[in-house]
Amino acid sequence: MNKFLLIFTCSAVTLLPRIVPYFASSALSRLPRFIRKCMMLLPVAALGALIFPLALTDFGAMWYVGLAGVGTAFLVALFRGPMILSIIIALISTTGMLMVFPA
Amino acid sequence: MGISFRELREGVHDGFPIFLGYFTTALAFGLLTRTSGFTFVEGVLTSIVTFAGSGQFLMMNLYNAGSLLLSIAVSVFFINSRYIFMASSLSQRLADPRSIPGRLMCGFGTVDEVFTVASFKGRKLSYSYMAGLIGVSYLGWTSGTAVGYAAGTFLPDVVQKAAVITVYAMFASLLGSEAGRNAKAVLVASLSALLNSILILSAGLSTGLSFLISMIAATVFGAMIYTDREAGLE
Repeated sequence: MNKFLLIFTCSAVTLLPRIVPYFASSALSRLPRFIRKCMMLLPVAALGALIFPLALTDFGAMWYVGLAGVGTAFLVALFRGPMILSIIIALISTTGMLMVFPA
Repeated sequence: MGISFRELREGVHDGFPIFLGYFTTALAFGLLTRTSGFTFVEGVLTSIVTFAGSGQFLMMNLYNAGSLLLSIAVSVFFINSRYIFMASSLSQRLADPRSIPGRLMCGFGTVDEVFTVASFKGRKLSYSYMAGLIGVSYLGWTSGTAVGYAAGTFLPDVVQKAAVITVYAMFASLLGSEAGRNAKAVLVASLSALLNSILILSAGLSTGLSFLISMIAATVFGAMIYTDREAGLE
């Protein structure tokens, strides 16, 4: 297989679904109110599925390692901590868990 | 359109956590292209022209499995179909929805993390802000690929393993601050998390299809329990 053909084909099927909607916004604004409401809520709905189950299964059988990371990140943010602090604490707790429970 | 350096700086600032997450994830991708027999130029070019995490990993997996170009293209399109919804959602939040180069840039940069950070910004998005946010994320992704290819596994094993968490920690952090504003966010996100877990782990669906179903179902559920005002609809 020609690798450049592969690379540019994958680029096209990735970029088209991202770019085309930005040029269809006049059609989008004429959509029913409920659909537009759905679009506003899409980010919240996406978050759950972006985290689970992959954050747990990425650690194989040690799902609790991933859970410790996302759990601490969630709590830090819930108590108004900045995102970077969330990530640092998640990294520390995940590394710590991996050292306590070596595979 | 004018460039506001204050907005640009704010975008770079908000994008820094994405930079960290992408850089570490791209290290793994760079390494994968190397072990798959790509040259340095081919590996880095993939990240430069595509800029998609899961789509690129899927492409390499299928390529290594000897799949046909057509079936790779269809699968990658499928896993990317969620971007149609994300891009539609984000296009409603632009401060100046007319600029053509601005929209092209936003379309190019509508990846999961940029989408979530921009969506939760809570105000109209300027192109200067988006350029900062997308630029720093893109830099993390492309430079991570290059370093990963060139240097291979140089991070200590335990840190490399733990670094996987950075991207998820970012999502969890966004969810945490959203839950602080409105507790209904936890209900909506729990539904999509639960559905996605069941569909992938029990029903054995592909991650792309499962994600799409879970996201749409939870969105409709959210639209039913949120008031128009809470959803940010005027």
